[in-house]
Amino acid sequence: MSNRIGVFVCHCGINIAATVDVEELTRYAADLDNVVVSKDYKYMCSDRGAKLIKKSIKENKLNSIVVACCSPRMHEHTFRGVVEDGGVNAFNLEIANIREHCSWVHEDKKRATQKAKALVRGAVAKARLLEPLERSKISVTPKALVVGGGISGIQASLDLAEEGFKVYLVEKSPSIGGRMAQLDKTFPTLDCSSCILTPKMMEVANHQNIELLTYSEIENVEGNIGSYKIQVKKKPRYVDLDKCTGCGDCVSACRLNNRISSEFDMGMGKRSAIYIPFPQAIPLKCTIDPEHCLLLTRGKCGTGPLCVEACEADAIDFKQKEEKIELDVGAMIVATGYDVLDMSTVYEYGYARYGDVITTLEMERLISSSGPTGGEILCPSNQEKPKSITFVMCVGSRDETACTWCCRIGCMSALKQVYLLREKLGDDVEINVCYTDVRSFGKGYEEFYRNIRGVKTNFFRGKPSEVRNSKDHLKMDVFDTITNKLFEMNTDMVVLVPALVPRSDADELTRILHISQSGDGFYLEAHPKLRPMDTFTDGIFIAGCCQGPKDIQDSVAQASGAAARAANILSKKELEAEPLISVVDEDLCSGCGTCISVCSFNAIELVKEEDGKSHAKVIEGLCKGCGSCVGACPSGAMQQHGFKDKQILPMVEETI
Amino acid sequence: MKKYALYPGCVMPTEQYAYELSIRETFPLLDIELIDLEGFSCCGEPMKSVNQLMTLYLSARTLAIGEKQDLDLFVPCPMCHLALSECKRVLSSDSDMMKRINDMLATEDLCYGSTNDIVHTVDILYDVIGIDEIKQHVKKFLEGLKVATHYGCHLIRPSEIGRPVDSENPQKMEKILSALGAEPVDYAEKLDCCGAPILVNLPESALTKTGQKLVAVQEQGFDVFVDVCPWCHRMFDSKQVKAGETVASKLEVPVVYLTQLLGLALGVKKEKLGFDLNLSPVDKLKIGD
Repeated sequence: MSNRIGVFVCHCGINIAATVDVEELTRYAADLDNVVVSKDYKYMCSDRGAKLIKKSIKENKLNSIVVACCSPRMHEHTFRGVVEDGGVNAFNLEIANIREHCSWVHEDKKRATQKAKALVRGAVAKARLLEPLERSKISVTPKALVVGGGISGIQASLDLAEEGFKVYLVEKSPSIGGRMAQLDKTFPTLDCSSCILTPKMMEVANHQNIELLTYSEIENVEGNIGSYKIQVKKKPRYVDLDKCTGCGDCVSACRLNNRISSEFDMGMGKRSAIYIPFPQAIPLKCTIDPEHCLLLTRGKCGTGPLCVEACEADAIDFKQKEEKIELDVGAMIVATGYDVLDMSTVYEYGYARYGDVITTLEMERLISSSGPTGGEILCPSNQEKPKSITFVMCVGSRDETACTWCCRIGCMSALKQVYLLREKLGDDVEINVCYTDVRSFGKGYEEFYRNIRGVKTNFFRGKPSEVRNSKDHLKMDVFDTITNKLFEMNTDMVVLVPALVPRSDADELTRILHISQSGDGFYLEAHPKLRPMDTFTDGIFIAGCCQGPKDIQDSVAQASGAAARAANILSKKELEAEPLISVVDEDLCSGCGTCISVCSFNAIELVKEEDGKSHAKVIEGLCKGCGSCVGACPSGAMQQHGFKDKQILPMVEETI
Repeated sequence: MKKYALYPGCVMPTEQYAYELSIRETFPLLDIELIDLEGFSCCGEPMKSVNQLMTLYLSARTLAIGEKQDLDLFVPCPMCHLALSECKRVLSSDSDMMKRINDMLATEDLCYGSTNDIVHTVDILYDVIGIDEIKQHVKKFLEGLKVATHYGCHLIRPSEIGRPVDSENPQKMEKILSALGAEPVDYAEKLDCCGAPILVNLPESALTKTGQKLVAVQEQGFDVFVDVCPWCHRMFDSKQVKAGETVASKLEVPVVYLTQLLGLALGVKKEKLGFDLNLSPVDKLKIGD
């Protein structure tokens, strides 16, 4: 029996109707073979539009539906629900995209209508051949993986753990805390950063549902939504976590004490080869840096490693090996954060040349009372107090030659530092701020900015052309676009506000997780407005700066949102799988294995038959329905449900 | 041996002979054969602000002459290099203009197809010959020579057109000079203008720019100032005394072409490299004597 088709043409207000003659299109569709009914409506996705479709299904005994409307990425899901409600299999639906593919990109109404007719004709041709499909069930492991232990990862872990789900929090560095731990105060409220962060870190450490895996990295991910298998590499710390008390005796004993540049202090301070990154670290345990430790790099540390001697708990173990751990989870949240743009690439500002040119993050460590100078502001070159400090905003940001985007935190972080510096240094230190625009967009930000403008600070709207040294100070020219004057400035210290960029290993993680990046390299959300925490890979969510620059408040909000999205999945016993996956015609398949070589999801295996021959078999839970295997199959044995050759080819033929 | 058509432009054959002399002496030693480009004309850059079509035509004509002999063009003058590069870029992206220019070239039986490369002195030395190869040919390392480099504007900007070196932190000359054993030292004024572009309209301002840069170089104790542009060289070398008067300083900075220093390192005699044509106190350089 051939399908009885109903065609429903949407006006989309005037989005479609202004460029395509929808009435004519509706009349035209009515005359196509197998089309029983053809109707148009102003907003087909509205409740009344849905009712219209359901009513028509009932009245005309329809079993295949064509909706001519916007992109299937927009509303296919909506209309699947509508036709299913109306009693038709959800997959007996075909969308003809006459908005993005037609009305929005054309101007000539007559020719656009012609094109819309062709698109509908093709969709009807396919609708004649659509077959009902059934959704299969996927079981869900009620555990989550959170990648990255910064404030976003911490928030997401705590939210999920509170919901009652087991959470594995994997952090690459020896301690959780992330960027926020490096900050002294936070804008605009001037809360002490570690005072508000440390309790959350403690909570993570003590929560019975959270298993913390620090100094560990994700190596491989297999599986699909509901049941991911994660391989984690636990790097050797060379310290037994159970024995180490975090007393720090080994740190001061180390032969390299105060001789290695500290990552946590952004190179402003020094640490030893065995170290605790910062006083509030979680876990408060020591780690031996394998790149610097004398014993690990040269095989010899004086007459014997002093750390071992100093350790009363006998916790140091140079024989520790890398461990591999396997985790089973149902969903993942990626919260890997950001890097700052390498300021030596913006050569003109002299970061690579002059010691007294620093970044805001480095300044943050100088301001911090737990920082390398104990909170004293000293020029790195001579350890003297600066008489003049100049901030340069947007270095690399909003710049077509570096990063086109706004870093969203630069203005506020610099203003915050101006406030803190004024507090520390008093009124006799000159502070200049060279800005592009001050973007004080958040709640309370504009008020904060207004306060700073009241504090004795010189604001110049313009970027300096370059920074040069001149005997005992730095000098720069800046053209102020408000007064239209060129200012020549002498200053002791220049603070660059750097662009935020994706983590240097973002590409690697993209590959492991099968998620996407936008053009700027940050992880891509599934929809910029409506699915900002989702990725295109089901069951993997993103939060915080790995998705794009944002401040702490936005990161925390997004992390809680991502946790809620993940909980949506974890709270179900089983999920329904999309049936639009590949299927093998075993009689046609010769078992050549070409499909296996093109499948990026490891979703196809070879099965031996009794007569010694073999054929391909699709693992339903893993197949994402990308269609690569269908294109690669030399014999046509591989077909994709909903996109079979016998459905697609007539569609193409009719359309052109 | 790689062959290049040498396109000297206008300043080198009419006043800046030392640049051409030193190129002709040194490049064959590095396995580069230079072939004279017969019938070449002006690059067109001087009249760009008045008649852009003429500029494109003149540049394309020179490029077409090279293309007819299947030769890449070696253009030591950065201004000519910019004009030719811009012409190549415009014509290869604008087929209407390409046709219009080719119609004009047809009267001389020429046709431009945008197939040949345009290279500068720095390009050839750094990218074609290469640092390792240069090192192997050095007979006399310029040890202890503290060098200030000057690239000039045309060689670095505008970067959209594709210039031989980076516009903010050019390093190729430094690497070449290090290969010769010299010590190029970074200095803040490295990218400052030579003043030549405003010499005609505002001679005093122009000479002030020249003087300021040389004063900075002199104060920082450089032994020699090296450039690769005949226009810049005219300012820093030929007009050094006048520039010094303008900024009320006594300037005594030896200014030489990169190829002149290269020649010394390769063991070529000073007189063959046109050192007697430099007006700055190059005698202070005690190399090659």
